[in-house]
Amino acid sequence: MNQVFAGFKWVALFKDWRLFAEGFLTTVELSILALMLALFLGIIFGVLGSSYWKVFVAANRGYVEFFQNTPLVIQVFFLYHGLPHLGINLPVFLVGILGVGIYHGAYMAEVVRAGIQSIHRGQMEAAYSQGFSYWQGMRYIILPQVTRITLPPMTNQAVNLIKNTSVLAMVAGGELIYQADCWSSQNIFYGPAYVVTGVLYLILCLPLATYARRMEYRLGGDI
Amino acid sequence: MNKKIVLIVSLILMSAFLLVGCSSKTASNSTATDPSDIKAIKDRGVLNVGVKADVPKFGLQDPKTGQIDGMEIDLARAIAKKILGDETKIKLTPVTAKTRGPLLDNGELDLVIATFTVTDERKLSYNFSDPYFTDGVALMVKKDAGINSLKDLNGKKIGVAQSATSKKAIEDAAVPLGVKVSFLEFGTYPEIKTALDSGRVDCFSVDGAILNGYLDDTTVILADRFTPQNYGVASKKTNTALAELVNGTVNDMKKSGDLDKLIQKWGIK
Repeated sequence: MNQVFAGFKWVALFKDWRLFAEGFLTTVELSILALMLALFLGIIFGVLGSSYWKVFVAANRGYVEFFQNTPLVIQVFFLYHGLPHLGINLPVFLVGILGVGIYHGAYMAEVVRAGIQSIHRGQMEAAYSQGFSYWQGMRYIILPQVTRITLPPMTNQAVNLIKNTSVLAMVAGGELIYQADCWSSQNIFYGPAYVVTGVLYLILCLPLATYARRMEYRLGGDI
Repeated sequence: MNKKIVLIVSLILMSAFLLVGCSSKTASNSTATDPSDIKAIKDRGVLNVGVKADVPKFGLQDPKTGQIDGMEIDLARAIAKKILGDETKIKLTPVTAKTRGPLLDNGELDLVIATFTVTDERKLSYNFSDPYFTDGVALMVKKDAGINSLKDLNGKKIGVAQSATSKKAIEDAAVPLGVKVSFLEFGTYPEIKTALDSGRVDCFSVDGAILNGYLDDTTVILADRFTPQNYGVASKKTNTALAELVNGTVNDMKKSGDLDKLIQKWGIK
């Protein structure tokens, strides 16, 4: 066991720290942009899903069920290897944003929908009585309350999203796991490589998860 | 109550008999003079070998039978015969670039014979035998791409395997020519072929003999060959007696011509 974590392997890793820093940076950039896309899609489709127009609800169900019930790996594989056969050649970074963003957008949509439906319908009725339209009521009355309720589950989704950017390793995505795979399969110093990679993900995810837990605790206090 | 005790005692006795039965059966094989790493294999009665399952002619799994066959499997059989006196006493485990190191380290495998290129850096972690096969890195491109040599690959993307040393080999050859290429690394060979088909990479580059297995109507292998790659049999760093024995076997097979026969049998090169 000692051999796997031999001192000279750590030295070699710290000599090549740039490679891991580059991967870390790509993971962070990818996560932020994919998260923005996921939030955007999540709010749009979440609102659609909780409306009473059947077409909108159907659009929400179609989107959510398709992306929640097929593996992210296949979605990314399709974007990367499938689309070029149709003449669409997206850069791998964009494949990452779209793949991970759309996938998690489906989960975000469910969070938003559940959040909206947890608000008492009396709130919307009150908005109507004051002359608000459906969309105005949604925008000014319902969604601000939903934001507060859904923040903890949203943050959990963000943590999952960060971890799921690792599927990009499969299509030479240049993120953290890809760099760790490339580096460690060359010299087979896999021990330090994956420990450091794990710690880097922990640094990204732990603060978010802790924040979500605190929020949940606070919400639990006044509901 | 009494029945329970009788049951437990008889169970203990039975398991004791079973254990004795096992040890007396296998102990006959090993001798007191064997070093511990070789003794462990003899006591087990089977040699655990990690091989490739996706490399035609070296180690390829037949999807119909599940059987893995190839030149490297024959080599594993020869080594099993040397240690255990019976070439059928091998257990093959398919490995990838990512699993072959860890599986040696944790003792699941005694040997890895899986187109494993010997490098100085890798020798720090594992024992390698003298090379049983030497091959050059080659380039595969699409027929209609109009690429005839490394020079034509200027500014293009080359797909390589994460485990392979081909990246360095091509870089070393490209720099003097003033050719600039970029690399995309994939986990397995079929993934690189998929990337070549979808146009994600312009060139698929690994060792020539491996590349041959992926040749089809739409692709062509260029004549260029770069830095020779030596394949060695790898074992855990601490299993030095086993490494010595394996090295002796490989060298004996080289001298006797058996190794050349294997290479010819599988039509490699």
